[in-house]
Amino acid sequence: MRLVAAELVESRQILPGQWLQSFHAPELASGSRAGQFVHVRTGDYSGLVLRRPFSINTTDAATGIITLHFRTVGRGTEWLTRVREGERLDMLGPLGKPFEVDSRSRHLLLVAGGLGMAGVRMLADEAIRDGRQVTILFGALSANHVYPSTLLPDEVEYVVATDDGSMGHHGYVTELVSEYEAWADQAFACGPHPMLARLAQLAAGRRERLGVAKLGRKRGGGKVDPLGSAAARRKAFLQVSMEQTMGCAVGACLGCTVMGVEGPLRVCREGPVFASDEIAWPDR
Amino acid sequence: MKAKKKVVIVGDVRVSALKQNSKHKPASKGRSGPAVPATTATAGATGLRPRVETGNTAIADLGTPFVAQPTLAERAALDRIDLAVDLAPDHGGLVLRSPILVASGTFGYGVEYGEVVDVQRIGAICCKGTTRRPRAGNPPPRVTETPGGMLNSIGLQNPGVDAVIDKYGPIWQGWQVPVIVNVAGESIEDYVEVARRLDGVPGVAGIELNISCPNVGKGGLQFAIDRDAARAVTAAVRRATDLPLLVKLSPNVADVRPIAKAIEDAGADAICAINTLSGLAVSADRTHAFLGNTYGGLSGPAIKPVALRIVYEVAQVVSIPIVAIGGVTNLDDVLDFLACGAVAVQVGTAIFADPELPVRLGDELRADCLRRGLTSYHPLIGTALPKRTGAPSAKGAEYRP
Ligand SMILES: Cc1cc2nc3c(=O)[nH]c(=O)nc-3n(C[C@H](O)[C@H](O)[C@H](O)COP(=O)(O)O)c2cc1C
Ligand code: FES
Repeated sequence: MRLVAAELVESRQILPGQWLQSFHAPELASGSRAGQFVHVRTGDYSGLVLRRPFSINTTDAATGIITLHFRTVGRGTEWLTRVREGERLDMLGPLGKPFEVDSRSRHLLLVAGGLGMAGVRMLADEAIRDGRQVTILFGALSANHVYPSTLLPDEVEYVVATDDGSMGHHGYVTELVSEYEAWADQAFACGPHPMLARLAQLAAGRRERLGVAKLGRKRGGGKVDPLGSAAARRKAFLQVSMEQTMGCAVGACLGCTVMGVEGPLRVCREGPVFASDEIAWPDR
Repeated sequence: MKAKKKVVIVGDVRVSALKQNSKHKPASKGRSGPAVPATTATAGATGLRPRVETGNTAIADLGTPFVAQPTLAERAALDRIDLAVDLAPDHGGLVLRSPILVASGTFGYGVEYGEVVDVQRIGAICCKGTTRRPRAGNPPPRVTETPGGMLNSIGLQNPGVDAVIDKYGPIWQGWQVPVIVNVAGESIEDYVEVARRLDGVPGVAGIELNISCPNVGKGGLQFAIDRDAARAVTAAVRRATDLPLLVKLSPNVADVRPIAKAIEDAGADAICAINTLSGLAVSADRTHAFLGNTYGGLSGPAIKPVALRIVYEVAQVVSIPIVAIGGVTNLDDVLDFLACGAVAVQVGTAIFADPELPVRLGDELRADCLRRGLTSYHPLIGTALPKRTGAPSAKGAEYRP
């Protein structure tokens, strides 16, 4: 974690109201892992007193470039769209815990809803670099909100669902999961809370069905990793990247909590990535 | 009991106050001494009173502070400027090396920002509100931005006083920066019990009572809005500990002055003002309140005028040091609070945007003193208070919407 002056090198609108910005920030480009985020200071402190958290969308250590993908949802993000190339933004990062991929996992299922693509996008790059196969299931309201496939690596299988059926599967992205569940060694998701809750439910069902196999592995391994540890996450079938409104983003203010099964969890510190069984999901 | 002579300067009138110190026990229990940094241990003798005997030189408005890189000679001159302040001059001393503190709830336990902030250069750290037993806090969401500020409803999430002592005490003990533990409770017994446990713990330099909590014994009425309850809780904690005792005022009252006076009379060493203002935000679809707890506390630049008004009022009715809190964002804010009678300030919400601010404000205050030809910042204190003392001014009470 450090304070970095990140220079805007490119800014473009990739979808209605959605922006992709590239920044020159070598410290972040080489020191970050998929799932982590930056906390960006806005230009007008007298009005906008809080930084804005953004997932690190992609990094390129060779060029020192990181990208952020966001939607204009308020004054902070609108301000960000007006920043000009060459201007420097104050970013605090990299923050939070990254996704943990088991070294034996060959097939990764990434599930993203809307802006949730920004949460898992970098994991696709990391996985492909490491020789794994990646399928991204992506859900959006309609065709004109679908993340452009041209912005994804060629190696990725990209499957789309839209709520209105204007592209791909007609319905929720979660309905596509059952087809891939057997193929996937691990799944990673980011998106609206109800989507994550549904995926967690599916993952819990899978665990029950495969209960014997899991017990077998446990007996073989001997020890149980504590809930929330990197090792426990690495063994989880589903990891989710959660969102919450934030103050400090370093664990100091306790503003960003979500309810976990063992009490409140700070999204900025214990998260934003959690194993799905760490979270107290609403009643199923 | 020894009577202490105290010289207080307000405006151009010199007031000598004899204060019978009988309510205070001498610091005698097995505490490892007040957190006085070695370099400033002698400062108590050289003018560390909250209001200082420097006459009433009018302080010119010097506009934007000086920030250019100092030369070697300037560096030496800067180092000579005295930023030390004692927040418990009548009770064993709580000497800080800088009058810029960090506010409770915005800096955790001092460790969270460690990678980006040199915490040793902060005047003092007020840690997150600490209670007798662990608290899980309020349901999320807990924070949201508002124009020029933010609302929070953390709900005093903390692991309880024993866990705080076990986990952070050893870390704080190794620090030069004093850590003041912010204490909350729902009954006088709660406050007293937490204070007792903190008493004598190495690494704990003082207590800041957060009395903006519902008093369960009094039907949930906050201690902070009830003069008698504020007096009672302060007096009870005063009896329970030798630690320097700061009491933090709530702005959510009709008139803060009788409450401040009661807290002073009950033996507090200093008054901190202010805590957050009660507020509300609505969800995006306007079907419910945004925060999980419905209400939240407003902080940030939006509350600075309220904080200034309260500091200004309290400064005219108490003679113990005042620590200002509320919307401090830059040196001008610090100077405004000093001018209204505060001897130190806490930075809260602004840390989220600018974690280095508390350290930088210390440097800027030093540079500002040098520019004004001062060797200490103390002449900057109280310059905006009404010049006539005696009967407290009614000014400021006139507009009460
Ligand atoms: C997220 C957050 C948590 C806070 N928690 C506490 C607390 O536990 N105890 C307390 O006395 N004040 C607490 N406060 C109030 C601050 O210490 C301070 O009084 C207030 O924020 C005003 O200062 P500011 O405008 O500089 O933030 C909290 C404030 C914020 C923003
Ligand atoms: S945002 Fe402050 S603890 Fe997470």
